[in-house]
Amino acid sequence: MNIAMIRALIQHQGHKGHRRSVLYILFFVSVVSLVSTGSSTVRGQSQKLDPALLGKPPVDAWPTYHGDYSGRRYSTLKQINTGNVKNLTLAWVYRLNTSINGAIVGGEGSGPAPGAPASTPSIKSTPLMLNGALYFSAPDHVWALDARTGREIWHYFWKTRGGDHIGNRGVGMYGEWLYFLTPDNYFVSLDTATGKERWHRVIANMKREYFSTNAPIIIGRHVIVGVGGDALDIPGYLESRDPESGEVIWRFNTTPRPGQPGAETWPDEYSMSSGGGMPWIPGTYDPELNLYYFGTGNPQPVLTGQSRPGDNLYTCTIVALNPDTGKMVWHYQVTPHDTHDWDAAQTPVLIDGVIDGQPRKLVAQASRNGHFFLLDRTNGKHILTTRLIDSANWTKGINAKGQPAHDPGKDAAVAGTLVSPDTGGATNWPPPSFSPDTGLLYVGTRQSYSIMYLTDTDPRPQGWAAAERTVGAVGSELKAIDYKTGKVRWSRPLAMTAGGSQGGAMGLLSTAGGVLFGNDGGGNFVAYDAGNGKPLWRAGLGVNTSNGPQTYLLDGRQFVVVGAGDVLYAFALQP
Amino acid sequence: MKAGLVSSAAFAAFAFFSPIAAAQQQALTAPADPAAVERGQQLMTTECGFCHGSNARGGSSGPDLTRSELVQLDENGKQLGEFLRAGRPDKGMPRFEFTDAQNADLAAFLHAQIYLNSNRRLYKILNILVGDPKAGETYFNGAGGCRSCHSPGGDLKGIGAKYADPVALQGRMVLPRGVPPGGAPMPAHRAPNMLKVTVTPPSGGAVSGTLVRLNDFEVTLYDPKSQQMRSWLRSGDVPKVVVTDPLQGHVDLLPKWTDADMHNVTAYLAGLK
Repeated sequence: MNIAMIRALIQHQGHKGHRRSVLYILFFVSVVSLVSTGSSTVRGQSQKLDPALLGKPPVDAWPTYHGDYSGRRYSTLKQINTGNVKNLTLAWVYRLNTSINGAIVGGEGSGPAPGAPASTPSIKSTPLMLNGALYFSAPDHVWALDARTGREIWHYFWKTRGGDHIGNRGVGMYGEWLYFLTPDNYFVSLDTATGKERWHRVIANMKREYFSTNAPIIIGRHVIVGVGGDALDIPGYLESRDPESGEVIWRFNTTPRPGQPGAETWPDEYSMSSGGGMPWIPGTYDPELNLYYFGTGNPQPVLTGQSRPGDNLYTCTIVALNPDTGKMVWHYQVTPHDTHDWDAAQTPVLIDGVIDGQPRKLVAQASRNGHFFLLDRTNGKHILTTRLIDSANWTKGINAKGQPAHDPGKDAAVAGTLVSPDTGGATNWPPPSFSPDTGLLYVGTRQSYSIMYLTDTDPRPQGWAAAERTVGAVGSELKAIDYKTGKVRWSRPLAMTAGGSQGGAMGLLSTAGGVLFGNDGGGNFVAYDAGNGKPLWRAGLGVNTSNGPQTYLLDGRQFVVVGAGDVLYAFALQP
Repeated sequence: MKAGLVSSAAFAAFAFFSPIAAAQQQALTAPADPAAVERGQQLMTTECGFCHGSNARGGSSGPDLTRSELVQLDENGKQLGEFLRAGRPDKGMPRFEFTDAQNADLAAFLHAQIYLNSNRRLYKILNILVGDPKAGETYFNGAGGCRSCHSPGGDLKGIGAKYADPVALQGRMVLPRGVPPGGAPMPAHRAPNMLKVTVTPPSGGAVSGTLVRLNDFEVTLYDPKSQQMRSWLRSGDVPKVVVTDPLQGHVDLLPKWTDADMHNVTAYLAGLK
């Protein structure tokens, strides 16, 4: 690496001895340019993150999963705008290098695990950008790229012990460190400048079928990480980890234990203590209220509720907690007693809006269960619920609290129930976007059907307990929802093939230039007019974008970066 | 698409970007020694089943062992054996002095149960033929509108015999898109019952075929006569594109029919031997 750095480390015992704090004193020395094998862009620049950046709209940095804490994925940049986006052109391409040769190697495994995918992973992480370098991940891998040229600066390779390699949402930054999670449930910290590992800690055990995909979110001195996994009936939890030591500061269990609030929504300790609720998507944060907002996963067993009558708090719930203490301040459950795998982990988007003439602090979620929710984020008070897709057939309407009322007749049955949406939901983890200019929340949706067959009729069913047979999708659309009414202002049908409607959930980015970046379900990366949904430009990538697009200003030039499968693309206007 | 969850290869066409598209991967692996699992099951039944249930999911007085963290983290009966040697007398759990081999067998059985719980690809669908065939016939000829395209003596003759698996029959009945279950895989645009499209350029001369690809920027069709693909770039409404679905009747039924209707018609069709 071409950053020379001398680091003197003084480690001392922390307060009360229960956790170590580590003081790093850094001396940056002027760089002597050696023979460079990669880029020289970050040479001489500090890769230390100023935490104040996290609370500002992203301009010349993208320092956290959503760009800022709000989850809006809105950029104030307007160099690229509705008038000139038709001239957007390829700046660079980076195809994932997953070779262990030349990589910085860590991990406890012996190498690629038995059953690990032979194919190259898909990019689901949103790259962070700081001082001319991009940092992003895929299961078992982290890369640093030159943000100007797309050339690799370093590659970190994690030798896995196994686990579900379905995806990784990205890295978190604190000071000059990076943090990420692995499929085999390690919490790993790297030196941002060099990619060298500092330490790794275990956060869950993969023998219980936990696997970790979350992008860490950093609030103050808390690195917030959540676990995933629903093959077995296991409890979900969110943790704050110390950025220096990696040790636990607090743990929030997403289901209660006997005697705790919410326990009355479960029949017994047995069901609640193995009741799921995985917080597997990064949340959002309001610094003024000091509240962290995140959605929780589905209850366990996944596709039947016969052993867990009740609402099953705090699964499928939007939770607001104090990040200093890990204590819940309020909650709102968007699917009481879920029986279809429709977790509520989708981004809770923070909107500073106006309702009935009054300025309000709001949180909105386009939820996997096929509904749009708007809440007051100061107290969790429900404001409105609307349907996100027409085909949803599993409710008995909306109850007095604004929640979709569960229809037991649409639970999995031995002979099969025809349910819409399928377990993938009306939308899913790919991040939506909100533009304060248009007042619209943008989300990719899918109308699908499955037949759900109950396979485990035991009084104590286990795991998924039912089998799903996909029927098909009958209409996928990109939708723009007026947050004040929950009504669709405009929608755009996604691509079709011989088999029917394609696409659905997609990562989105809106900008002050009036542009909405997303895909069309048919392998095009598309710039839409955020005001009316008109497609203005596309890049025919051949496969759909697979992460949330992001944008930054570097050397006066606005770049838009997006991943599609195993390739990261950057677009810009010709200088 | 989750491996094993889909009965027809052609259904993969629906999962172009589906969050459930990725194959489920697991940390746990299938039991290596079935004989040990069998010995463990016998031990479970005779020594543990009274309290913990013969399937180890908990019984009258003992907890569910398949959800036990101690069991899940156990390695070849080592931790389980240590626990059993001490028991938990304060909670009514007696000591068990099994040999190391017996502990390993018991652990093999429990881990096999846990593996089967966790692996949804191995779940067995039960008997789904619970509907009323007479009611199904009535629906077929009446409210379902099936009769307008299908007849029991014509295209559906012997359909019940053709589909030995009622689950495949029911899936096919709901939306028979693409290659039938068990059929040879083929490109989606050559499979049966796929979407059709007619493209009319401004110069006239409409071209029809199977829809290969349609988005805001392009339309591609497969012309079965010439066995060629043809594509046009799109700009707004030019060229004119009209998509038709030979399965529109099935699509229209999706939000209409009840699960009982579906079960009844499945039972009716299963009886057309």
